[in-house]
Amino acid sequence: MSGGHVLRVENLVTRFKSVERGKWITAVDDASIDLKPGEIVGLVGESGCGKSTLGRSIVGLEKPDSGRILLDGVDLATLSGRKLRDTRRAIQYVFQDPYASLNDRQTIGEALAEALTIKGDLSPAGFRLRIRTLLEQVGLPDSLHERYPRELSGGQRQRVAIARALAVEPRVLICDEPVSALDLSVRAQVMNLFLRLQQELGVACLFIAHDLALVRQAATRVYVMYLGKVAEEGPSLDVYERPGHPYTRALLASIPSADPRIAAKRTLSAIKGDIPSPTNPPSGCRFRTRCPLAVQACAEAQPPMVPLSTGHAAACIFAGQENPRIGLSQTIGAVV
Amino acid sequence: MNSMTAIPLLQVKDLTIDLFTEHAAVRPVDGVSYDVSQGETLAIVGESGSGKTVLNFAPLGLMPTGVSVQTGGQIIFDGQDITKLSERQLRSIRGKSIGFIFQDPMSALNPARRIGRQIAETVELHLGLSATQAESRTLELLKLVGMSDPESRLQQYPHELSGGLRQRVMISIAIAAEPKLLIADEPTTALDVTIQAQILQLLKEIQSRLHMAIVLITHDMGVVAATASKVAVMYAGRIVEQGPVHQVLVRPWHPYTTGLIDAIPRAEDMPGSLFRGLPGAPPILGGPVEACAFNPRCAYAIETCRNRRPPLLATPTPPVIAACPVVLGQWQEGGAP
Repeated sequence: MSGGHVLRVENLVTRFKSVERGKWITAVDDASIDLKPGEIVGLVGESGCGKSTLGRSIVGLEKPDSGRILLDGVDLATLSGRKLRDTRRAIQYVFQDPYASLNDRQTIGEALAEALTIKGDLSPAGFRLRIRTLLEQVGLPDSLHERYPRELSGGQRQRVAIARALAVEPRVLICDEPVSALDLSVRAQVMNLFLRLQQELGVACLFIAHDLALVRQAATRVYVMYLGKVAEEGPSLDVYERPGHPYTRALLASIPSADPRIAAKRTLSAIKGDIPSPTNPPSGCRFRTRCPLAVQACAEAQPPMVPLSTGHAAACIFAGQENPRIGLSQTIGAVV
Repeated sequence: MNSMTAIPLLQVKDLTIDLFTEHAAVRPVDGVSYDVSQGETLAIVGESGSGKTVLNFAPLGLMPTGVSVQTGGQIIFDGQDITKLSERQLRSIRGKSIGFIFQDPMSALNPARRIGRQIAETVELHLGLSATQAESRTLELLKLVGMSDPESRLQQYPHELSGGLRQRVMISIAIAAEPKLLIADEPTTALDVTIQAQILQLLKEIQSRLHMAIVLITHDMGVVAATASKVAVMYAGRIVEQGPVHQVLVRPWHPYTTGLIDAIPRAEDMPGSLFRGLPGAPPILGGPVEACAFNPRCAYAIETCRNRRPPLLATPTPPVIAACPVVLGQWQEGGAP
């Protein structure tokens, strides 16, 4: 049933109680995504779009209200207790802030050993060897195992966090903005580590990020979320070069180019207004309140996913049309 | 180059800042010079620990408590050297002729006070307006920064606003007294791209209306290209390259600038291809060093780079200057230092 997917999320809904009495926030609203073994998949969108909640729901940090999460075809909802914990271990989470995700009072070796204890079955000598291997896998010298997190740079800490996730030999890594807290010149090192781990260990990776240029290069496929819903999905090149959803187009057009020759020719701010409150989302298409193409029909029903090419689809009634109404038909080819 | 008549609004000359805490002495700014004229935007680019934030805030007395600051050099703002001013005199400049925008609007705003009150406070203090006058000025400011439904915003608290709207409030406070200079420290880093685009556009509009000079501190070359005309790249407390944006971003000279620009993903990079970056990590702030601080990460480093401080030199693309005598052919391997 899983069709070669290591992870499959079907029609997931995760809701939170709002601070306003009796109101609910539907952070993830009927989202479906899947990951093949060893695949890096991007999940992009602005803050409040539900991308982090989706990732956290997958690892069990949030409790979904409905929908299914299948790991190797096994519905996690059918498992409980020890069986659930053992199965879920195959999905690990890498947090954004390596300054907050490591215990200050634990040495790097202790942090890794703790993760290895969960896996069990190692002799003391086996522990040391495994820690050395893990550090090596993330490109850190073995001597670091006696150090404390405060003695490490941000990039090194994030490598430790990744090593700790790898300790239990996961099949899927959910990485939530794993490099956005790092310095620009260091990001590439950590991104290349993800690419290498994917190739060497075959770990699939759901890469949650707001940095579209980064995701384009790292991921072979990408999902774009807006207000809890998947607005567009497809192979990265298709989505970035032939975006089918006006929101994707607006996102791409908002990225300032670092090339002054391009920047001089472009006006930013292709999109107006703020993301509406998730306690009271617009009817029909969630994007219609900011969409330059919106018509009456957009308010009446949720747009279906319109297939554009193999694996590429967008939730817009105008998707795939040559010149949908006035303006905004230009495709933004270059990312930067 | 500036014509004879245009004296820059802000001239920073050979500025050095030493910070002393109970435990350490560091020099986050070491011999930095630049100037900004009215209506002009200078971007200061650097990573964590480059000193870019201290550079702009320490001279105005904006430092965490428990730190003593010692400055050398001059900061001539609107004709007076502000390094010589007392705290009392600084207070009349801060928020009045120099406005500030911080990265995180949530921590810069008072969570327990209504938006309208916070803006009005600045207006009353610096423009000497009465409460009623201040209120109408506040409304005017909220309209100027493009707030929808400004009347009801006045009554709201910061937590009721989105990040983008909070930053608009911050901007309205910063420009309340129509400052001559606006210092914006990573003003869009905490914002989403679509909101970032709006805020950058807003800053441009306000600048042309008020004819302000802007010093924009950022790490994002895209933001630099979208907003600034001049750029200074900082590394470990020093400027390593400086010049017009359309030159530096297209033809950088310093290996650090080159590495930073090279690290930006390009449209022709295929999915799954390796990322370009720099090896190593930015240095942790320390005392002054008689070397090029970038040498451990530099592919061009020679022996001289490890024991001599590289001067800022003219490049073949003037007025760009860069602190790499190796790339610029002044220092050679084995040559007499």
